[in-house]
Amino acid sequence: MTRVFALISLALGALLTTGAFIAVFFFVPIANGGELAQVANIGGEQVTHQLWFSQKIFYFHVPVAIASFAALALGAWHSIQYLRTKRPVCDLRARTAMEVGLIFIILTMISGDLWTRSDWNTWWNWDPRLTTYLILMLLVIAYFILRVQIESPERRARISAVFGIIAFANAALSMLIPRLMESMHPVVLSGSADSGLTPPMLAAFLTALFGMLFIGFGLYYLRSMQLELAERLALVQARYDEAQGS
Amino acid sequence: MKQFMTLLRKDLKIEFRTFDILSSMGIYAVLVLVVFGVAFMLGENSYDITPLASGLLWVLAVFTSLLGLNRSFNREREFSALEALLLSPLDRGVLFLSKVTANALFLSIVFVVAVPLFVFLFLQGGVQGNGVLAPSAPLVLAPLAVGILGIAGVGTLLATITLHTRGRDIMLALLFIPVIFPLLYSCVTASSMALLGISDSMVFLQTLGMGVGYDVIMILVGWMLYDFVLNG
Repeated sequence: MTRVFALISLALGALLTTGAFIAVFFFVPIANGGELAQVANIGGEQVTHQLWFSQKIFYFHVPVAIASFAALALGAWHSIQYLRTKRPVCDLRARTAMEVGLIFIILTMISGDLWTRSDWNTWWNWDPRLTTYLILMLLVIAYFILRVQIESPERRARISAVFGIIAFANAALSMLIPRLMESMHPVVLSGSADSGLTPPMLAAFLTALFGMLFIGFGLYYLRSMQLELAERLALVQARYDEAQGS
Repeated sequence: MKQFMTLLRKDLKIEFRTFDILSSMGIYAVLVLVVFGVAFMLGENSYDITPLASGLLWVLAVFTSLLGLNRSFNREREFSALEALLLSPLDRGVLFLSKVTANALFLSIVFVVAVPLFVFLFLQGGVQGNGVLAPSAPLVLAPLAVGILGIAGVGTLLATITLHTRGRDIMLALLFIPVIFPLLYSCVTASSMALLGISDSMVFLQTLGMGVGYDVIMILVGWMLYDFVLNG
């Protein structure tokens, strides 16, 4: 039953994101950039502004980035739950959420990199926003290295829960830096009424966002179920071996 | 408060008898300076490294303090001293705060020697050419103080976390540098403003305030979670 739930979430996510991407390329208008010196005629249309075709990556990059934060927040939440209740399943869920988070972080890095290559004409730049996000990725990788380095399962769960919380607090602090400092990275979702998105753009963006969140949740759900089953299997195996031995 | 003073006195007494941490950190700081010297001397003899100075200063600070933090818990491992400490009816938060204070003191002592040495070797128009510091240069002490406090706080917490991992020393470096990043960012920015001249004092204060905020949040988090790090 629960597996069906996870699969529905994944399928819904796939459907929404695919739909959003098709819409983005066929129906949503291209974003306008700076004004042109003279009106150009492209494909039978009068064009007065520079067109930003590369802006299309916004509908992938930003939802993936938001999904990565959601996954990390979920990981921190389960870490807190572990410290409160000491239930091993919380540790397992925290770890799964971090895994999903890492996947989305890597996707954000790749899509962001493609965009900086096309718009800033460079693969990498030590812009505050890029740097803080790179640090976030290193923190999550460090979380997994830390897990491998501790042998006792109880201590591993406890210590990595503490580090998960520290990492999340740190990520939140890091994200303040580009808001306070000067950054080249565009801020579209700043909370102000005029975000520059026309209604069709916003609709496509929100569809892609919800799709990504569903995919993330489906992945998290499937993976944590798999890990829980593996743990139960190991337990049964251990009991079986014990019975055989006696 | 009494517990805090007793613990702090214990750490300081051990240190001033052996000079274990201070001597190794001090020598290491000098060695980092030598590496800088070699890196900048091999070309022409007249680089002006003033624009890079605050970055170099913090490279020195981060690496030197990493070494000291690694050692600060080594002596608690010997003879199971930490277990004995934990047997006593002691508030874990107090233990954390006393360790942070001790580490901050050790770092300050080392930097009192290392920072003037750095200025003397690289920024006095002597060996490295004609770098001129802005009149606001002494203000660099403010980001240094904020940085030392944060490094000691985060470092103590992470040193305890990595105490029972397999590759202890390497793990501390792996965790420490990304976690310290927001502080490092604000301290490097603020120091660089101080060394090169502050054009907008609001921005300087804001950057410094970010570092102070980081210190407060991280020490608070450490104080709350220390119990879980030690024994849950």
